[in-house]
Amino acid sequence: MATHDVVPWDGQEPLSGPLGVPLVDLLDRVLATGVVVSGDLVIAIADVPLVRLSLHALLSSVNERVPAPWNDGGPL
Amino acid sequence: MTQPPDSRVPRPPADDGVTYVFAVCRATRAVGALDLADEAGMPGGRAVRLLPAGLLTAVVQTVPAADFTDEVWQRRLSDRTQIERYARAHHAVVSNVAAHAPVVPLPLATLYHDDDRARTRLATDANRFHTALKRVAHHAEWGVKVYRAPTPEPDPTPDEPLTAAGGRVPGAGLAYLNRKRGVQALRERRREQALDVAESVDAELRGLAAASRRLRTHGAALSGDDRTHVLNATYLVADERAGELRRLVRALGDRTGSQIELSGPWVPYSFVGEV
Repeated sequence: MATHDVVPWDGQEPLSGPLGVPLVDLLDRVLATGVVVSGDLVIAIADVPLVRLSLHALLSSVNERVPAPWNDGGPL
Repeated sequence: MTQPPDSRVPRPPADDGVTYVFAVCRATRAVGALDLADEAGMPGGRAVRLLPAGLLTAVVQTVPAADFTDEVWQRRLSDRTQIERYARAHHAVVSNVAAHAPVVPLPLATLYHDDDRARTRLATDANRFHTALKRVAHHAEWGVKVYRAPTPEPDPTPDEPLTAAGGRVPGAGLAYLNRKRGVQALRERRREQALDVAESVDAELRGLAAASRRLRTHGAALSGDDRTHVLNATYLVADERAGELRRLVRALGDRTGSQIELSGPWVPYSFVGEV
C-alpha cells in the first residue's frame, strides 16, 4: 500500500499496527457497528445468552451532547 | 451494592473455559499456516489458535468462563480502562490475522460454550460468512469524521443602547427579544450549514465506496476537544481506490473549509453484519 500521511496510526503495516487507534473509533467498530444488538450476524450465530452486551453505561457517557443521527435509537 | 463481595458464594464448577471467537476466515493454506504464537488475545486466556470448521477457519481462544459472564461484561463495559484493554486485545488479534488473509471480524465478546458449539454455529451460517468474506476481500474500511470548527458566539451587540444610567430605554425589552432571536437564528443557520457540509461530504464519499455506514457522532467530552462533530461515517473501499479516497478527502476539506479526518485502513468491522 502507498504511504498514508493522513492518518496518524496508519503506518507501514496498515492492518497490523492498531496500537494507536483512538479508543472511541475502535469502540464504534468492535461494539457499536450494529451487529451486536440489532440481531443480524452475531446474534444469529452466537450461541449466547452467555454474554448479552449492554452498552448503555459505556456509550451514554460517551455521547450525551450530540444526538444520534438515526431515528430508531441506532445500533445500540 | 448491598453486600460486599462474598467469598462464601459458591464458585462455578471447575472452569474448563469457553470459546472466544475473534474472527472467521476461509480455510486456506495461508490461514492454516498462520503463526499465532505471539498473539496475547484476551487477558487471562489460553493460546490463540485456529478452529477449523469446514471450509471456514475461526480464530479462537479458550478463556475462563467466570471472567466472561454477562455480569462481568456489564461491569467491564462501564469501566473505561477495562473496556479499552479488552477492545484493544480483540482488535490486535483481528488486525494481525487480517494482515494475512481476508477476515470477517466478530464483535467484541462473541463467545460459545465450547469449540463444538462454535464450530456448529459457524457451519450453520457458513453461507453468510462466505458472502461476507467475498464482500470484504480486497476492500478495507475507512472512517471519516467531519468537524465544525468552534465558532465564536454571535456578537450580541445591542442595536438599541441602554440609557446612560443603565436603565431600559423604551422598547428595550423588544429589542432584547429580537437580539435573542437573531442569535438563535444565526446559531441555527450555522448548525444547518455544518450538517449540509456533512451530507455533501458523505454523498461524495459514497460515490467512491462499495458501501457506507453512518456511526454516531461523538460528544466533546469524549474527543477531548471543543470541535463539533457533525459526521461520523465509515466506508468500505476497494484497495485500489484508497489513494483516490485520500485525495478526495483532502479536496473536500479544502473545498468545504471543514476539518475532515480520515482513519484507516480498518479491518472491515462495519461491513460484515449486513449479509
